[in-house]
Amino acid sequence: MGPLAVNEIISENTNLLLAFIIGIGFGFVLEQSGFSSSRKLAGVFYGYDTVVLKVFFTAAITAMLGLLFFSLFGWIDLDLVYVNPTYLTSAIVGGIIMGVGFIMGGYCPGTSFCGASIGKIDAMVFVGGLFIGVIIFGAGYGIWEKMYMAKFLGFPKVSTALGLSDGIFALILIIVALGMFWVAEWAEKKFPKAEY
Amino acid sequence: MRPRSLLALFLIPMGLIIAAVPQNTTRPYKLTAEELLAEANTRTQFVTPEVVADMIIKKDPSLRLIDVRSQDEFEKYSLPGAINIPYADLLSDEHTDILNQDVFMNVFYSNGTLTANEAWMLTRQLGYENNYVLEGGLNYWFDTILNPEKPSDSSSDEEFAKYDFRKSAGMALGGGNVIMPSQEQSAPSTKPAVKAASKKKKAAGGC
Repeated sequence: MGPLAVNEIISENTNLLLAFIIGIGFGFVLEQSGFSSSRKLAGVFYGYDTVVLKVFFTAAITAMLGLLFFSLFGWIDLDLVYVNPTYLTSAIVGGIIMGVGFIMGGYCPGTSFCGASIGKIDAMVFVGGLFIGVIIFGAGYGIWEKMYMAKFLGFPKVSTALGLSDGIFALILIIVALGMFWVAEWAEKKFPKAEY
Repeated sequence: MRPRSLLALFLIPMGLIIAAVPQNTTRPYKLTAEELLAEANTRTQFVTPEVVADMIIKKDPSLRLIDVRSQDEFEKYSLPGAINIPYADLLSDEHTDILNQDVFMNVFYSNGTLTANEAWMLTRQLGYENNYVLEGGLNYWFDTILNPEKPSDSSSDEEFAKYDFRKSAGMALGGGNVIMPSQEQSAPSTKPAVKAASKKKKAAGGC
């Protein structure tokens, strides 16, 4: 049956409409959970608030289990699901830039729009910086292109790279995630911060 | 109970289940019957004897001829460089790497078109690509390449050019008026090394 758009069960436009509705829901939930606060997001790096880590890892595990079970029931063909291409160099460089920006600004791209939409000035500055980055990248594409396209590894999945079945890898990831939640909560006790 | 324990109680059994079940059991056939019919109707799976002959003469490394007739028939006569995968053994595991790959252009042939085309349909329905069928099979191969018929004097230049090509190709491939020359000597007996099928490109979507 799925993916719906690839198998032309729904049109490309319906797909975009659904993405729009889901996006609004995502933004709403982010805001309601306090993710529009840069202090909460930066808290992950200082250890006093690890909600972000827990929420996003739980989301990833839920989606992973959902997809695997859907595939098991024949509801979705995982071979047709889009996997991001891996360009190793740009993934590492981009990861560093993103990480530094995350700690400095206290937002990731999605949550900065959440913060901006409820009128937070720092979030608006962050969004401004985001657009400056987009312009620098776009205008200077010729300079970065070689690095941007370097070390293309195809469309690998971690499970294939490790030689494990998707199911085994899922189980390992669940256990690792639960272990991380435990460490995160230990860190919250270890590095407490006054209420903000 | 604390939320983390609750979460663990739910997630770990789910993870155990998903780790224990086999994957990809739900859809062994990649193409639906309708998709296959539509593709078969385009007849793009057929390659003409001229194209194959040209590739054999030029020793095109991407060409891989696959004889789907029985081993007896294969030993009696086969095209240069062909390997033998009898139709009955087509789906055995040892041949998967040969049939499901993206390096070679596999061309199935049988005496006529029927068996080779059936082999193409089966592999295509499994989602394999780069498999083709020799148009007309060996019978047509003999008629066109090994014993080409001289066109009548009133035929077009194109017909004559085709005839000339067939004639020279036929001679290069041991034709002329001799039927069933033994070609096995020139055929490498070992299978060419097969690169493991790489992951196919996914349908693009977006995040």
